Amino acid sequence: MKPILIIAEVMDGCIRPVTWELIAAARVIRDLIQTNRAGGKRKAAQIAVIVPAQDPVPLAREISSLTKVDVLALKVPTLVAYTSEAYKECLAPLIQELAPSHILVAHTSQGRDFAPGLAIRLNAASISGVNQIRSDGDGLLYSRPGMNNTRNMVLRPEPGFPLVLTLTPGIFLARPCQVKDPGAVMVREISFGPKQPVRMVHQKIARRENEHQALKKAHTIVAAGRGIGERSNLESVARFAKYFSASALGASRPLVDMGWIGYDHQVGITGASVAPRLYIACGISGSSQHLAGMKGSDWVVSINKHPEAPICSHADVCIVADVIDFIRVFLEQEDALQGKI
Amino acid sequence: MKILVCIKQGSEDGEISRFDEFALEEALVLKDRFKARVDVITAGPESAVAVIRRAFGMGADQGIHIVTRDSGFVSAFVTASYLAAAAEKGNYDLIFTGIMSQDMMQGQTGPMLAELLGLPCATGVVKNYLTPALGLVPIEREMENGCRDCLDIRLPAVLTIQAGSLLPRYPSLSNMLAAGKKSITTLAQGDLFPVPVKPKEVLITIECPEKTRAGLGLEGTLLDQARQLKAFLQEKDLV
Ligand SMILES: Cc1cc2nc3c(=O)[nH]c(=O)nc-3n(C[C@H](O)[C@H](O)[C@H](O)COP(=O)(O)OP(=O)(O)OC[C@H]3O[C@@H](n4cnc5c(N)ncnc54)[C@H](O)[C@@H]3O)c2cc1C
Repeated sequence: MKPILIIAEVMDGCIRPVTWELIAAARVIRDLIQTNRAGGKRKAAQIAVIVPAQDPVPLAREISSLTKVDVLALKVPTLVAYTSEAYKECLAPLIQELAPSHILVAHTSQGRDFAPGLAIRLNAASISGVNQIRSDGDGLLYSRPGMNNTRNMVLRPEPGFPLVLTLTPGIFLARPCQVKDPGAVMVREISFGPKQPVRMVHQKIARRENEHQALKKAHTIVAAGRGIGERSNLESVARFAKYFSASALGASRPLVDMGWIGYDHQVGITGASVAPRLYIACGISGSSQHLAGMKGSDWVVSINKHPEAPICSHADVCIVADVIDFIRVFLEQEDALQGKI
Repeated sequence: MKILVCIKQGSEDGEISRFDEFALEEALVLKDRFKARVDVITAGPESAVAVIRRAFGMGADQGIHIVTRDSGFVSAFVTASYLAAAAEKGNYDLIFTGIMSQDMMQGQTGPMLAELLGLPCATGVVKNYLTPALGLVPIEREMENGCRDCLDIRLPAVLTIQAGSLLPRYPSLSNMLAAGKKSITTLAQGDLFPVPVKPKEVLITIECPEKTRAGLGLEGTLLDQARQLKAFLQEKDLV
């Protein structure tokens, strides 16, 4: 059986938690392959993690002691920080040597950056943003979002090639815990530069600190998307937000890009991850990048003109209406009620 | 300085896929600043020529149209192979693509194209500080949580552009009038690859995503719906 390989996500010298999800997904793949094979008596595929880093051994030990899997510590003395060039250069020869069936990478800013190029180097099939893995008797099928997030495309890799997958974070959940029988840790050293012509040089990671405080503290977030139509309509969404106590105004990314509202208000993978009691999405379509930032909310209400918007599959209550009209009617009704008291 | 921008048809005829439009804008800014030449390339059916015309209207200089017969799901590897074959001899200093397409959302064409051409590649670029004299393009690429990865990249290079604060310009009348004189090189898929490039993934089916929440629909007039929402919020103790 060919092994299933995982590329650990390392950042700032630490293992990123998405790595546990990759291991969980590898186990799903292993089990599906095993049950798919007639008889199912042969040994199951081996799972191994590769950790590329300047000093990978402590990281490799951490992984093996929390998951039981075997880990290959790939020591690259010049690897100060991630670059796609260095990763492809160091990983490709090692992966070729191990001849895996699958190579699992996180669908993160880092994984999306190097995985497609790595697939070309390995002459591998490549499927990005996988959110479901299943089997149909003929083999494994991989589902991924498409068509502006309104549909899932189910793909089958052609046989005879290794398969590079980038897996959407937050799908294959895992809880790593200390195990009595950790996997083996092997070390391999590889050099990158300075002899090769290095064409990508990492400078720094620019951070933003203490942002999104208001969003993180809020019990209710009322968030505006492109569906509000005009910048001036933000006022009406803000008034709706004020109707709730301990509330904050959120926004989808395009509103921030257009300069309608500050980055402090952005919800999503490149903004804030929030989990309020109530999240009201106003004219937001529900892209996977936005959903990733708010799916932990207790209750989600969507106000959207289109009943087919993807957000409707991820909301508890769906109001199909023009968002500004709806807000006006809602607040007028409340004013009327207040008047009566 | 020669820049190539890979563009794809968006959801409506003649419209450029959203992220590709940002990539084109980024290139046109460099054209204004460094007198760079900006070419566009698209792989698609005959009708896709409309996006090249639109790019001319925005200010692009020349166009390449790879006429393809593929329909439905197209593997990023296949598209990247076409683009690489056509771009190879162009001696481009920079090649831009959008961070992903609107329809397929794979985000793979750019980095695959780079690998096929043997060029360095950065994805999700939100800022570039192109310095032609040094043959260098320092960039910032977006990471999670508002962090940015800052790198110096040697030219030639491939960058996939993330939507940012630069809004794509509208086609201008003067550019549209000049568009008729600009040249479009048309290549057939079969000229580039007598033996068709085989995809390594096939589409089995298209499904509606699973619902993760109930999606209770409210009925009636706006006022009816407003009352039902209020009742829901009260029941769950959310107001
Ligand atoms: C790497 C990457 C990172 C990203 N990070 C983020 C992120 O952190 N956060 C984020 O939000 N996005 C992010 N995006 C962008 C994301 O892909 C979507 O483009 C974005 O979320 C769409 O925003 P939207 O829903 O406001 O707009 P659209 O998708 O345009 O949706 C507008 C919605 O409004 C509805 N509508 C229109 N008119 C009305 C009306 N009158 N009344 C009611 N409804 C109406 C429409 O039906 C539609 O559903 C990222 C993209 C990439 C590639």
